[in-house]
Amino acid sequence: MSRLQNQPTLRVDTNKPLSFTYKKKTFSGFKGDTVASALFSGGIRIFSRSLKYHRPRGLYSLDGECSNTGMEVNGIPNVNAEKTLLEKGMQVKAQNVKGSPELDAMGFMDSLDRAMPAGFYYRTMHKPARIWPIALQQVRKAAGLGKISPDFRMTGEFDEIFPTTDVCVIGGGPSGMTAAIAAAETGLRVILLEARPWLGGFFDYRQSEFSRDLPHYQRARELEARMQTLPNIRVFTHTAMVGAYSNNLVTAFQIGNEKDPFDERYLEIRAQSMIVATGCIERPLLFENNERPGVMQIACAHRLANTYGILPGKRAVFSVAHDLGIEAALDLFDAGIEIAAVADIRDNPSHAALVSELEQREIPYLKGWVAREALGAPLKSVSLTTLQGTFEKKLECDLLVASAGMTPVTGPLSMAQAELAFDQHTGFFLPKSLPVGVYAAGRLLGLNDSRAIEASGQVAGLSAALNCGKASAQALKDAQEMLAGRPQAERGCNLVMAPVKGRKAFICFDEDTTVKNIKQAIDMGFDATELIKRFTAAGTGPGQSGIPGHNLPLLVAQHHTDHGALTRPTTMRAPLVPTLMATYAGTNHLMSKRTPMHERQKQDGGVMRKIGVWNRARYFSDDFSCRREIENIRNNVGMLDATTLGKFRIFGPDALKALQRVYVGDMAKISPGKIKYSAMCNEDGCIIDDGVVVQRGENDYYFTTSTARAGITVEWIRYHTRYDGWDFNLVNLTDAFGVINLAGPKAREVLSEVIDADISNAAFPFAAYQEFTALDTIPVRIMRLGFVGELSYELHVPGSWMETLWDALSEAGKPFGIANFGLETQNVLRMEKGHLIIGSESEQRTTLHDVGLGGLWDRNKPAVDTVGAVALQQTENQEKRLKLVGFKMKNTRTPPKDGSIVVDDRIRGHVCIARYSHTLQEAVGMALVEDPLHAVGTEISIYEDECQGQLVSATVVPMPFYDPKGERLRS
Amino acid sequence: MFDRHKPLWGKPPALKQSYDAVIIGGGLHGLATAYFLARHQGMQNIAVIEKKYIGFGGAGRNTAIVRANQRTQQNVPLYKEALDLWPVLTKELDYNLMFFNCGNLNLLHSEAAMSAARMNIASAQFQGVESHLIDAKTCKEMMPALNIAEDITYPIFGAMFHPPGGIVRHDAVVWGLAKGAAKYGCHIHQHTEVTGINVENGKIVSVDTDQGKINTPRVLLTAGGYSAALSYHMLGIKLPISVLNIQAMVTQPLKPLLNHVISSGAYHAYANQTLKGEIATGAHMDAWPNYTTQTTAYYIRHQAQAITEMLPCLKGVKFMRHWSGLADMTPDMAPIMDGNHPIEGYYMNCGWGYFGFKSCTATGKYMAQFMATDECPEILKPFHLGRYAEHRLMGETAALVTYSPDN
Amino acid sequence: MALTLTCPVCGKRNGYEFRYGGEDKGPKPDDFGSSPETWCDYVHMNRCVAGIQKEWWCHRDGCGVWFTTHRDTLKNLEME
Ligand SMILES: Cc1cc2nc3c(=O)[nH]c(=O)nc-3n(C[C@H](O)[C@H](O)[C@H](O)COP(=O)(O)OP(=O)(O)OC[C@H]3O[C@@H](n4cnc5c(N)ncnc54)[C@H](O)[C@@H]3O)c2cc1C
Ligand SMILES: [Zn+2]
Repeated sequence: MSRLQNQPTLRVDTNKPLSFTYKKKTFSGFKGDTVASALFSGGIRIFSRSLKYHRPRGLYSLDGECSNTGMEVNGIPNVNAEKTLLEKGMQVKAQNVKGSPELDAMGFMDSLDRAMPAGFYYRTMHKPARIWPIALQQVRKAAGLGKISPDFRMTGEFDEIFPTTDVCVIGGGPSGMTAAIAAAETGLRVILLEARPWLGGFFDYRQSEFSRDLPHYQRARELEARMQTLPNIRVFTHTAMVGAYSNNLVTAFQIGNEKDPFDERYLEIRAQSMIVATGCIERPLLFENNERPGVMQIACAHRLANTYGILPGKRAVFSVAHDLGIEAALDLFDAGIEIAAVADIRDNPSHAALVSELEQREIPYLKGWVAREALGAPLKSVSLTTLQGTFEKKLECDLLVASAGMTPVTGPLSMAQAELAFDQHTGFFLPKSLPVGVYAAGRLLGLNDSRAIEASGQVAGLSAALNCGKASAQALKDAQEMLAGRPQAERGCNLVMAPVKGRKAFICFDEDTTVKNIKQAIDMGFDATELIKRFTAAGTGPGQSGIPGHNLPLLVAQHHTDHGALTRPTTMRAPLVPTLMATYAGTNHLMSKRTPMHERQKQDGGVMRKIGVWNRARYFSDDFSCRREIENIRNNVGMLDATTLGKFRIFGPDALKALQRVYVGDMAKISPGKIKYSAMCNEDGCIIDDGVVVQRGENDYYFTTSTARAGITVEWIRYHTRYDGWDFNLVNLTDAFGVINLAGPKAREVLSEVIDADISNAAFPFAAYQEFTALDTIPVRIMRLGFVGELSYELHVPGSWMETLWDALSEAGKPFGIANFGLETQNVLRMEKGHLIIGSESEQRTTLHDVGLGGLWDRNKPAVDTVGAVALQQTENQEKRLKLVGFKMKNTRTPPKDGSIVVDDRIRGHVCIARYSHTLQEAVGMALVEDPLHAVGTEISIYEDECQGQLVSATVVPMPFYDPKGERLRS
Repeated sequence: MFDRHKPLWGKPPALKQSYDAVIIGGGLHGLATAYFLARHQGMQNIAVIEKKYIGFGGAGRNTAIVRANQRTQQNVPLYKEALDLWPVLTKELDYNLMFFNCGNLNLLHSEAAMSAARMNIASAQFQGVESHLIDAKTCKEMMPALNIAEDITYPIFGAMFHPPGGIVRHDAVVWGLAKGAAKYGCHIHQHTEVTGINVENGKIVSVDTDQGKINTPRVLLTAGGYSAALSYHMLGIKLPISVLNIQAMVTQPLKPLLNHVISSGAYHAYANQTLKGEIATGAHMDAWPNYTTQTTAYYIRHQAQAITEMLPCLKGVKFMRHWSGLADMTPDMAPIMDGNHPIEGYYMNCGWGYFGFKSCTATGKYMAQFMATDECPEILKPFHLGRYAEHRLMGETAALVTYSPDN
Repeated sequence: MALTLTCPVCGKRNGYEFRYGGEDKGPKPDDFGSSPETWCDYVHMNRCVAGIQKEWWCHRDGCGVWFTTHRDTLKNLEME
């Protein structure tokens, strides 16, 4: 279809056609078109079918207030076609139809409305009970609009930025631009967000005069040009503000373009001041069939012609309540549409001149008339009535422009915690009080006069600047006076509904909620707007409260007869515009850490696992029992990358006091060259960490924690000393050092290849600590420990040397059969040795006593001075606690699965770990069992998942299972 | 058949000067207790006092997930009974609570998590609750949208599959219980705020409200996230509670995509598809006390990142609405239910955190029994407040909780 | 993100850089540990103030300092 060519306000480039497909046919539009404008121009009038009744739905607004133009585009469901710029090759599909939107096999649903009153789900389909499971599957199928394939994968670029600014202006209409300019002229940084691809707001498409010989659209371009001269304004067009949070944090998303070739970008803006200048949308007029295709709002019809060059119909009836409606009628008439009549709810238009213009064109102007029913599908005629319903007349038309007036876009304000109150004069929800640093300007204040709108922007811009410490109070005063000199907010139309029953008057299009449904809800006792919203679902669909947001509270208030008093808007929630998860996810920041040996371990066949924040090697073969790895440690030697251990330096005059506070042992007893093993508890006396401490100098200690505690230990120690004012320094060296655990009977031989010092058992015995130089260069701190129950060394080396030392050891170890070992091997080895891993053999509620480590607690330290000691005192002799025990299986071949439970007539505990031990040639494990089942010799019954009641038996035995005398680790 | 619409919970009654019991809070537990008191315990001269409208608190904000695969044997039977009660109540109340028994998949992302889940599963099976450990491939078959590739932050190893769980329509529960309670005589006073509780000689005598004083020998505090503040403010009784904000959000409605509830501890995220077709998701909490019920930008981003790693097709779906509610967290992630201690006639039921929807039917039943008989039912005994001083945390969480500063 | 907090070292920062450290209960009282109840009162019990409270925070992702500040829990805003 050809476009109107000589509209000066066109935003489509008719020299650049774009083709796309819909219903297996090729359509074409132009650059600048939205998907919906292109389809409309291609003759499409029905875009979708409604959720419940499958009513045909068409183009009603152009700003996404409802899901009438929700379509599937390139596999993405629920795309608002009226807001989505057309791109070449787009694949567009209709949603929620069986057949096509024009011929929908589900169309009969519309006649079933009597069977589906408000909340009918709650009152049906459960009697008899057996029908519900079947009915619910039907409900599921009928529900939902768009469809997404489980295999859908989003392509494209998703960007994100986090700018800070002095002033953030929401809305690039005349008041927003004026505000931005005013603030920027004081030298502040300004960010302006505009949802449409261009600036200008409601000036942009209007050819009427702003001042003599200056049409509105030209005025908008002047303001835009002025902004361009101010480099401290950053303008983001095609950027929808979606959230406002306290301290003026504003979120938005931007659609990419040629200059910024991402698909979408998430913006998180922290501003000192925020100005909301989001203008108005139209308040839908309620009458029968008010959402029939062919019925549209004023700006929709007006902009179709002026912005897109498309005539919205051939013969139109207008039922409006605002001057903009008359202005649109005049423009559309001039563009070539026949206007059957303009019905105006108001007694008089605000500008009498408009009426004479209607008269000049011989367009009938019906004061005090309103649409009562749209007839025919597609629209064939409309019946109009006087407000009291006394007189009626029917007019033929294919376009009904209907609107009950304006309603402010207050979402951003209410999200910013502004308090809104109903204003009788304007019929708007106006800001009653604004939080510090939040300002409002423009049409949303009820202003209509173009220059008053700009003046209010000036006031807001200067107020925002003043809040940032710029702008003079005098300048603000002048601006306020200027605003006061302009026409004030106009009286608005308060009519909610034409005099009809409302059976097919839709208050919410997305949810197919009718006025009748609202009445039903009220009859059922739902008196608060929020409750009615929930019960009828009005305003909970994709358009959020764009359509019902204003009418619903008005209608409810009308019911309560004390109009005004109870009128409160429902809560606005982010995202104010539905936003793709892809956009929120942005570049995705979920992270994992890698050790210096990560790549090498992978090359060596390491099967990596995410453990906490780290990636670590769990196995080095496909045999997850790890038999070869295990045997190699018991017989030869192996290496484990233990870099993830927490490593800390604490030093300063009060370092020892701090250690005494958090460790249960007596840290004063650390001797030079020796390691001290100890544990930390929380105030519950529950074990949260174990590790070793060494002293490296006067008041200078180095200690390790478990991997899980690495990130938290510094804050934890500082927390537990926060009232003391002690003088110590605490440094987290976890990422600075790599750690190699070299273990196995041949470990010493391997180590002596890289270290030129006496490391004989006599010179460097078990539990010793010493600092060496490896390969004549690398500083290494070595601890002789025995977590896996063999001779073993824990080598702590600066991270940058880690790889060198690792390679040297691998090389040196070759003749001894050195091999990597992973976490599972370590797990089995330490279990055989009876060593616990916190979190595996303990729960949140497991005390030091419960795991059998009570001996680590030094009772001579004053209990109140040691974290957890009071609880250790109070729980020491408690009965019926879960205690850690070792057990052997009756059937020595088969261990129970980890996590199996210990039962008699009830649950008595659970298996923490159990394995078939190749070393011991029998199945052993560790369990937490309820006292007194923990006594050595007790037989316990184990219940595995899916065991069908077949219990297996085990006997509680002393630990360790392997090398009970500890000879091997001391050798 | 629908032409006459009667008020569901009766005409608003006038506030009487005395009731046999006053329940503070028109949320899930308050209304459920009222219903069971009035219908099953024969105590009908009772009132529910709600400061806003019924369902204003967590009752109207939760994501409506129900299940009975808790960790400890003190909890499982309670939740099992609660789960079994949904169809029963649907019938009793003659109100469709829309129990969608779709089953829950609790995703597991490591060998250790599989073992930990096995303990829950074995415990469930031992107690007659269906629950199974399944592998990643089976998960994928059950939920084709799931990404079981290894290149995500927390690759999926398997899941705990709990067939009897699912979702229930939360609003229907509120309205249905209110309807049922009102039918048996309970007065529901909305827009009435309790401002004080009066004690004489160690016994409850009355409560103050902004609409006047009510004499009563029994008070039940079930004010959800407000309970701990009220308890300290009105009676000086401190509770081991941290009141956090928990957030949730829904996408635009879609045709059926998720056939089960899925959740992941590692990602701090869960999702289910409501009967309306929206994907409801949530789980994370800011770890500091906050009564605002405001949402945060941080959280919706986190959620999008987490959810789309597990369910990548959702990148093409839009978030539509984001909200927040209060979660009154206890140190052991289990609630506090107690009565006649330290004050005679004073009952409390709080600390439900983000899991008090699924339980409300059973707790309503047993709290009602407790209040009607003054005898604590066996099943509630483990939940008494004294357990914290006795060093007997419940064990519902295996790991340390992050909102406690001492962890 | 909405909360900001003022670190005594680093100044006003995004609230997500911080870790909450509980209501300010003061140092352990003298009777701490004299009975399970006194222990529990200090360790587990909270006032849960709905309003302004003094509380501990740690600048976890910054300088690491622990400090107290006043915050209104009804607004989730630090007091100036
Ligand atoms: C986002 C979110 C998701 C959740 N998801 C789930 C889930 O999937 N599954 C699940 O099991 N649970 C879930 N929960 C938790 C569940 O909603 C709560 O545990 C549950 O609502 C608690 O019920 P309640 O009756 O104790 O409190 P509420 O439902 O909060 O009711 C308390 C009522 O007390 C009223 N009140 C407060 N003070 C006064 C006063 N002074 N006088 C009178 N009335 C007062 C309040 O207005 C409120 O209506 C979720 C919670 C949230 C916030
Ligand atoms: Zn700092």
